[in-house]
Amino acid sequence: MNEILSINNVSKRYGHVKALNNVSLQINKGEIYGILGPNGSGKTTTLGIILGALNPDMGSYSWNGNRPTKFDRKKIGSLLETPNFYPYLSARQNLSIACKIKGVSENEVDRVLTKLDLLYRADSKFKTFSLGMKQRLAIASALLGNPETLVLDEPSNGLDPQGIADIRNVILDLANQGKTIIMASHILDEVEKICTHVAILKLGNLLTYGPIESVLNNQAKVVVSSENIVLLERVLAQIDGVSHVRKNGDKLSLILATGKDGAYLNKALFEEGIVVSEISIQKSDLESNFLELIK
Amino acid sequence: MLKLLKIEYKKIIPYSTFWVIFGLFFFFTPFFFYGLGQIKLDSFPIDFTAIYHFPEVWNNITYIASWFNLLIGMLLVILVCNEFSFKTFRQHVIDGQSKSDFILSKILLSSSFSFLTTFYLFLIVGILGFVSGSDGSFLTDIKYLLIYFVQSLGYMSLGLIIAIVIRSSALAIIMFTFSIFFESVLSYLVPDAIAQFLPLEIISNLTPVPTPKGIQVAVLVDAIPLNTSLMIAGIYILAFWGISFLTLSYKDVK
Repeated sequence: MNEILSINNVSKRYGHVKALNNVSLQINKGEIYGILGPNGSGKTTTLGIILGALNPDMGSYSWNGNRPTKFDRKKIGSLLETPNFYPYLSARQNLSIACKIKGVSENEVDRVLTKLDLLYRADSKFKTFSLGMKQRLAIASALLGNPETLVLDEPSNGLDPQGIADIRNVILDLANQGKTIIMASHILDEVEKICTHVAILKLGNLLTYGPIESVLNNQAKVVVSSENIVLLERVLAQIDGVSHVRKNGDKLSLILATGKDGAYLNKALFEEGIVVSEISIQKSDLESNFLELIK
Repeated sequence: MLKLLKIEYKKIIPYSTFWVIFGLFFFFTPFFFYGLGQIKLDSFPIDFTAIYHFPEVWNNITYIASWFNLLIGMLLVILVCNEFSFKTFRQHVIDGQSKSDFILSKILLSSSFSFLTTFYLFLIVGILGFVSGSDGSFLTDIKYLLIYFVQSLGYMSLGLIIAIVIRSSALAIIMFTFSIFFESVLSYLVPDAIAQFLPLEIISNLTPVPTPKGIQVAVLVDAIPLNTSLMIAGIYILAFWGISFLTLSYKDVK
């Protein structure tokens, strides 16, 4: 079986704030899955739940088709929200504790420190590290034991441009080894450059998900106008494949599902008795699609 | 289990607070105990050096050391709160420890602290007792060491539950100290029959105030026999551990 992670109808509240609303997602082996969304959309909550730190109010999840246990987590390299280490211990001492918990050989410590370019500071206390070094140490810790699955929450947080490029290469390198990576990010560019798949969250709702090109690229943004714009808006809402209809001056913009084109839309409108005065398909780009989706 | 304890010591051996607090305990316990034996009162001819003699020495030293048990209790509070403030508890969970592993680690750590301090008292008594040339039997009343062990575990189990509920170091230490005062006051407000069963009352009375030889003391009515006290203390300790686990398992790991 190919399925690594399955999230089924998971919901989570903090007081009266709905952090996650009935989210379901399947992630298969070898996919680099980006969880994309603005701040406060539920990315970290999702990762916290699949890593056993947060209890979902409803729903369930499974790793490799089984009920989750601590033994699954030992085999997953994870970074959740912030780098968490003992400030008074050195990088090496901190990683050696992580090795003991995960049950991997302590020889791994030097390997991961080298990979993240931290070996020269191996014996410095964690509290003397800069923000970027702390982040790199957290990623080094996630690599202990060379896990087949990685869960990384905003991996490039706090890094300078060079650091971001380095981390990106580390992740791409892991991806080339066939590992499964689940990565939360609010940076579209990062997801676009690294991920094969993407899920978009907004205010706890899963808006869309799938292979990155079908989610972000293939949906065409269309602008239409007609004499009776109120009627046009009402009719558009009933046409299959049309979503995100929005008023834009005296025109309406919308997103047309994959596989549908302007001719399809024009025909559908004509059948409803609407004569279109303007219809134009705007060349889609990732960013505008994304912004449109999370509007 | 041994693996969990090893991880705990990996965390604390480089931690200076651990050494400072144990240093205080290791220094002040014999310092006070020795000093007490050197007291000379002109108007009151008691030979205080008798506190070093067997078998009373066991009761005497465990009573003195019981005051310093609070220090070790505070150390445990700090160590547990650190796991929350450094968020290392959360990291351990996502790295593959369960919440019960976490509680078990802290129980093992507490037990090892109790063992260390108890063994230390055994060494002091061995040295002081023999140096002062006691005539009593060495093993008589050595049961006080067991009692002391349970008592120190008792204070640490209280520390554990307070740390897990409160999570912030400063506040938890204040609550830990305050709970002792609070219970002393409470024990005056409720009938004695109930007061004597309050957890800290049970735990602190495990090492009773020694009655020096040669002083006629009003015989205090000791309502609860020692064995019963030990048993009740054991139940409290288990309850504190159990509640700590339940508290942790229902909460999100933040």
